[in-house]
Amino acid sequence: MAMSTVTLTVHVDEIERLFREHNRALVAFLQCRLSSLSDAQEVAQEAYLRVLTMDNREEVGSLRSYLFKVAGNLAIDRLRKRKVRSDFAAAQPGDEAEGETTPVHHAIAVEQVAGLRNALRELPAKASQAFVMHVIEGRDFAVVAQTMNLSERMVRYHVANALAHCRAWMDEKEMP
Amino acid sequence: MAKTNPDDILHVAADWWVRLRAPDATDETVDQWLTWTLEDPRHLATFERINEFAASLRSLDTVTHRSLVRAFMRPAAPSRRWLPWTAAASLAAMVLGSAGYMGWAHFAPGTTTQVYNSAIAQNRDITLPDGTQVALGASSTMTAQFSRQQRRIELRNGEAFFQVVHEPSRPFVVGAGAISVRDIGTAFDVRRTGERVTIAVTQGRVEIADLSQRPGEARRGSLQVSAGQLVSYDPAMSSMTVGSIAPEQATAWRNDRLEFIDEPLSVVVANLNRYSNRPLYIADSDLDKLSYTGSIRTDAIDGWLGALPQVFPLRVNKAADQVILSDAKNAVRR
Repeated sequence: MAMSTVTLTVHVDEIERLFREHNRALVAFLQCRLSSLSDAQEVAQEAYLRVLTMDNREEVGSLRSYLFKVAGNLAIDRLRKRKVRSDFAAAQPGDEAEGETTPVHHAIAVEQVAGLRNALRELPAKASQAFVMHVIEGRDFAVVAQTMNLSERMVRYHVANALAHCRAWMDEKEMP
Repeated sequence: MAKTNPDDILHVAADWWVRLRAPDATDETVDQWLTWTLEDPRHLATFERINEFAASLRSLDTVTHRSLVRAFMRPAAPSRRWLPWTAAASLAAMVLGSAGYMGWAHFAPGTTTQVYNSAIAQNRDITLPDGTQVALGASSTMTAQFSRQQRRIELRNGEAFFQVVHEPSRPFVVGAGAISVRDIGTAFDVRRTGERVTIAVTQGRVEIADLSQRPGEARRGSLQVSAGQLVSYDPAMSSMTVGSIAPEQATAWRNDRLEFIDEPLSVVVANLNRYSNRPLYIADSDLDKLSYTGSIRTDAIDGWLGALPQVFPLRVNKAADQVILSDAKNAVRR
């Protein structure tokens, strides 16, 4: 009894340190995977809980690697569930009335959209298309690769390029 | 050895971003990424900015989303470059640009000229003598001059959609200010707002020439444009931009919906005024340049006006016979 209490205490300290040192990176990693900050924060919470309640601490080498592994798997589960839900939604009759008369939903920043369009125009056609399909439409690399008849590696290359280019473009515009 | 240039960090961060998103990313990749984030505080910060940027793009409004997808998902990239103005490039356009145009101005014998007008808020369908179908937008004016050698339309103001009966021996040419559009078996839409012109091709191809020529300046080139492409001519810059547009978007006005892609507010207002019995005015010229993308129902302009201050920093003052748009900042100061 006494032994296990001691182990758990050490373990809690370790998790506290992990949280302090790596929580920001963990959330960033999960946001990258899930494309949503709130989902990322939720999954991170769940991952800490899993690590906290694990009963095989001695079998695991680096607790940090373990935390990211657990979080990564939870993210995959969540993406799978999300896909089931969106397939279900896609099968429902569509609702085309989207309030076209009001410009309210342009509030994101009309100028930024215009800037983005210009930035995308400066890119090779393949890069802008891969970017729009993956980042804006949310299609998997595999789907983009198939549609564009490219390897997934090339799609990733184009998306990364376009992403850096557009982000840099927006940064320039944000300067006063 | 750490990279210090912010641009380099941005590229590396973007590269990590796509690698981590790949379904086959290994635990080792994640570990390497983590090591990279610990090398320099800017690394994680830059990665977070990429995340944030990507998230904002996933939550775009429907109209913007659709217009971006339409603009960049086409297999054939729009050509953005002027074709060089050489004899080889286009002899036909040369004839059209100089002799042909002058000839028309002189009203050659055997030419019939007809003027077509439409009232505010009234679109009008017209069949020309050659069978060409024209849908003339509200408050628009065009003249048609037909001879045995040529069919020439001049769009003086407003918008028109042409479904041209192709005659190889008798070109069909639409002039709109400094721009001329020559049909090569086509349906296309031309919108003229003052000297600003947009051309949307819904079928076939057209050749567009810029006829403006300043003293001492070489003549500008011509541009071939095909279905699905949108050309905007900006008189201030004397430049043309090529983008993409879906056919139903180009002719949405025929179903009481005006669509705008990156158009200055002044252009949006001028076109709405063709459909509104209560004209809109922009009081402060700094509002002219605000860029608008979206669609507006011509039978619900009031609703659109009501929501406009949420998008742009402006105030809407409605009077019985007019609507004034003014800068929100100036309004406070007054």
